[in-house]
Amino acid sequence: MAKTELSYEEARGELATVVERLEAGGTSLEESLALWERGEELAAVCQRWLDGARTRLDQARERRAAEAGG
Amino acid sequence: MTEETPRSSPENPWPVRVVSQKIGSWIARLGWIWVDGQVAQITRRPGSNVVFITLRDPSADLSLSVTTNRDVLDLGAPALADGARILVHAKPEFYPARGSLSLRADEVRQVGLGELLARLEQLKKLLAAEGLFDPRRKRRLPFLPGRIGLITGRASAAERDVLMNTGRRWPAVDFRVINVAVQGTSAVPQMIDAISVLDRDPTIDVIVLARGGGSTEDLLPFSDEALCRAVFACTTPVVSAIGHETDAPLVDYVADVRASTPTDVAKRIVPDLAEEIRVIAQARARMWRTVSGLVDREQHRLDSLCSRPVLARPEVIVDTRAAEVGSLTARAEVVFGHRLDGADRDIAHTTARLRALSPQATLDRGYAIVHRAADGQIVRTPDAVAAGDALRIRLAAGDVAASVTEPAAREPAPGAGKTVATDPAAASEPAVNEAVPADTSETGAGEPAPSEAAVAIPADPIAGERSDATAEPAGTTTETTPANGRPRRSAARSKR
Repeated sequence: MAKTELSYEEARGELATVVERLEAGGTSLEESLALWERGEELAAVCQRWLDGARTRLDQARERRAAEAGG
Repeated sequence: MTEETPRSSPENPWPVRVVSQKIGSWIARLGWIWVDGQVAQITRRPGSNVVFITLRDPSADLSLSVTTNRDVLDLGAPALADGARILVHAKPEFYPARGSLSLRADEVRQVGLGELLARLEQLKKLLAAEGLFDPRRKRRLPFLPGRIGLITGRASAAERDVLMNTGRRWPAVDFRVINVAVQGTSAVPQMIDAISVLDRDPTIDVIVLARGGGSTEDLLPFSDEALCRAVFACTTPVVSAIGHETDAPLVDYVADVRASTPTDVAKRIVPDLAEEIRVIAQARARMWRTVSGLVDREQHRLDSLCSRPVLARPEVIVDTRAAEVGSLTARAEVVFGHRLDGADRDIAHTTARLRALSPQATLDRGYAIVHRAADGQIVRTPDAVAAGDALRIRLAAGDVAASVTEPAAREPAPGAGKTVATDPAAASEPAVNEAVPADTSETGAGEPAPSEAAVAIPADPIAGERSDATAEPAGTTTETTPANGRPRRSAARSKR
């Protein structure tokens, strides 16, 4: 993504909109494909956020365990 | 006398007696006054009627000497002791012998406890009216003070209580203790000093004023107006811990926090370490649960969004359209097939109709059609041809050429035409130019076949249509022919 990364909430909100639009149908093939590609992109952004959050949690947990151990 | 004395100078100094006399006469001019104070010391000289009292200001480190005699004292304040509050009616006097100033009292009244309390009540109202007790003026104590200033009696139970209980709750606590007199005449000035010292100390985050229980009189310094004002003016939060639960000296109302007893102070000024550790651990655990729960929940939401068919199986986007195209193609094939079948049936039907309407059937029955060879016109009347005209006769299986041998003139009736010879051999016979019934033509079957027979089956529908039109008159003339009464001779030959 060239532009500044969306926040998790923004990405998830847009993803939901994309899915709804796809499910509602009525879009042309070209539009559908563009929507799907956008959806994949947004899902990847969301996943990156969640992975990052989990990593930070794990790191904090390890640090705490190290402190408690040392 | 005063006026007569010249100005003093190093060259002309005043003798002590002059100075003493001048001061004495100045002081003698002062009048009688009522003075309120506290007895710091009372001296009764044995064998002397004179009594010396050191009268002290309860709030400040100031004192004056009071001189009176036993009679006066016995009248207004018998059994007067140190620390008592007294009201004195006196006049300032100068004693030249010692160069000292004292108040000569002619009336001394001891102020009773009831009156003291009444005064406190009045003071309380005054301070309240001034806003010294206003809860909005109270400062909040820091959650965990860096250093605590403690003002209390030396080696007192109060001091021990505060230090021990506070250390028990928060071991790392740090105190700066200032020991003061907590009762008696010097208590208030010392406490005010201590407050001022601690307030100026930047490491002190809270000041505790502590004193154990005592009599109402003992606790009076803690209701002192000057002390109350000092506490109010103090920028560092002040905690009061005076006496027992039931004691309520005025400083309790002014202090930012009132602890009921010195033991209670600890709870007010420091958090309980064990409790805090427990709370933090709890908060931390809840935080972990919340945050990881949040991440898990969001992951679930994301997964459910991503598992929706439109995202999970994007080929559906293409597949549905492919299916649409397929079904449309199939429908088109079906529809086109139907159309073709219909067209086939139409053609067959039309062909059948065509065949049914074609003159061929009529020709097959033995009728013939006669055309003028020159222009191809169908010959319907004998007048239409002249002798020698070339004719063409269409038979069921082909054409024959013929020529008119005899123009018709005998028959006036329409339809009666010239006699046609189909054959050189039949030239003498009256010819019938119209088709004759098939059964009649059967009779001529034995006759020689036309030499110029040619197959002339209509090749196309248009020709068929035309033949169709010519068939009608043929049918009509069929009935007229017998009416002619002529020998039945077939002009048209059949190959059969």
